[in-house]
Amino acid sequence: MSKFNADQKRWLISQAELEAWLDGISNARTLIAPRRVSGILLYRPVENSRAIACHNQSSGSIHTERPVLSVKEFFFPPTERLFAINKTGQEIYLEETFPDWETVIFGVRPCDAHGVELLDALFLDTNPVDIFYARRRRNTTLIGLACREIGPACFCTSVGGAPDDAHSVDIMLYETHGDYLVESMTEKGRFLIPGGEWKETTDRHQKSAYAGQFSVPDNGKWPEHFKDDYWTKISERCLSCRACAYICPTCRCFAVRDELVKKGEFERIRCWDSCAGENYRRVAGGHKPRSEKGERLRNRFYCKFYYYPEQYGLGTDSACTGCGRCIEVCPAGVDITEVLMDLEKPE
Amino acid sequence: MNQNPMIPSLGKLLEVRDLATDIKLFRIKMLDGGSKAFHTFQPGQFAFVSAFGLGEAPFGIANTSGRGPVIDFAIARLGSVTTALHELGEGDIVGVRGPLGNWFPMKKFIGKNILVLGGGIGGAPLRPVIQYVLDHRSDYGRLTILWAARRPDLLVFTDEYKEWCAAPDTSLHLTVDTADENWKHESGLITQLLEKMSPSPDNTVTITCGPPIMIHFVTKMLQEKMGFAEKDNYVTLEARMHCGLGKCGRCNLGEKLVCVDGPVFNMEEVGELLETFL
Repeated sequence: MSKFNADQKRWLISQAELEAWLDGISNARTLIAPRRVSGILLYRPVENSRAIACHNQSSGSIHTERPVLSVKEFFFPPTERLFAINKTGQEIYLEETFPDWETVIFGVRPCDAHGVELLDALFLDTNPVDIFYARRRRNTTLIGLACREIGPACFCTSVGGAPDDAHSVDIMLYETHGDYLVESMTEKGRFLIPGGEWKETTDRHQKSAYAGQFSVPDNGKWPEHFKDDYWTKISERCLSCRACAYICPTCRCFAVRDELVKKGEFERIRCWDSCAGENYRRVAGGHKPRSEKGERLRNRFYCKFYYYPEQYGLGTDSACTGCGRCIEVCPAGVDITEVLMDLEKPE
Repeated sequence: MNQNPMIPSLGKLLEVRDLATDIKLFRIKMLDGGSKAFHTFQPGQFAFVSAFGLGEAPFGIANTSGRGPVIDFAIARLGSVTTALHELGEGDIVGVRGPLGNWFPMKKFIGKNILVLGGGIGGAPLRPVIQYVLDHRSDYGRLTILWAARRPDLLVFTDEYKEWCAAPDTSLHLTVDTADENWKHESGLITQLLEKMSPSPDNTVTITCGPPIMIHFVTKMLQEKMGFAEKDNYVTLEARMHCGLGKCGRCNLGEKLVCVDGPVFNMEEVGELLETFL
């Protein structure tokens, strides 16, 4: 879903104009933005612009720090009701409700917006369309904020992204000497821009500081490494804790099950799951394919860089955004960049 | 806006009867709204059956749509959903979501001999293949059925063997891993029976369903000892699935998904990836 528009308009706005704009948005819609929650930076609903982390200098700046979790949860929540089940005697009645509220997410990191675009390939662009995801996606506007520099675990530039990449957002903001350069990238974004109030500009943003790139194996390289001992070795330290999947902006495996609400009432829900879990492939009767940790970790990397791009026709060799969260969260030091570089090493 | 593809249609149980120890046949008539999707389904397709309140699970459809407006499932009692289904009876309501997946290319098989190899509950998705060939008998060559189970009391569709054997140019060969004193047929693994019969690959396709380990050894023997081409060995694979729509990520066979690219594959497509099912 390329939305890049070469002649998009640009404005230069002050901090005060930005705050007034966000306050206006929060009056009419749900505004989600990076906010400190018990010291942790998260994308969370905010009542007004003052609650946003970047406007509170004492608690740090969002220009150099990415939220602990990506925006995935606002399109594909950790747990979601698919329908309600009412049982009375032999009678069964199924009831559907769909999410239907307008949301604006401000301060979206370019990598997280890229992650949403990668999820679109599965939930929107491959039939059947996922109605829950589609509704949330349709009703949500993404306002991106360029990273001034690349973080310690970041590697977006190696997987097709950039700290100032605006391709996957509706509006892009670049901080420039205390002001903000604003670009509307889509029609949905243009709709949120106040007409005539802002000063138009022909300036272009200053390039963010890029880190070095490394080479990621292309699709064709993966099959030949499928039987390598490497996967057993690298997985020795893996705890199968699944944190890497839950924190990943593009991991999307889910489980479906029924939950009791009260007598006679149930919900069929889906919730996040991960191929790292030991029982993930367990079939009726107890047989557990992929019982070895190495097989499961291998599947995660193959899914990210080979299976998912092939299955959903990404047209790229990677379903990874390079956000680096999985590197930071892994308690055992499994490093996705190390795996990619190892695979590129000559035998 | 699109429909919710995760919502099942409602169906009424017309009949529930024992097929084997802890295996029951569920015959379902779809209620209004759900009947349309199930007007036609093909041999090899599957559907999710819901025991509302417990969840849903995928099962191979065990009949052909040509034999009437009902859907059959042969379900072994193994987990929480199947245990709940086994407690249901005639008149009870279940959910059915489907039909899903691809199917055996029965039209492509016209004029060929067909060798069917079924192990245990793996016989369920093969019953529509047998029914289809019997209902279009003159379109196909010889039909040979190798039917296996761990014990005699676990063989499915025993009351239909007469019909199968009575059809022209059709033979049924039974084996069980562990025989009892009343057993009059072969005993031993299905591969032992297969080796003994040593079928010719000439103008023949094979269709196998059973535990992954059985599929592994059966297809290996067909190719290495009997000279079958990989592409003539069709299998239907069982995988844990939670959506059946190519979304939940669970059932991958390498870069393919069993739910949308399968469950029917020929062994040329499966190759060494079968090991991820073992």
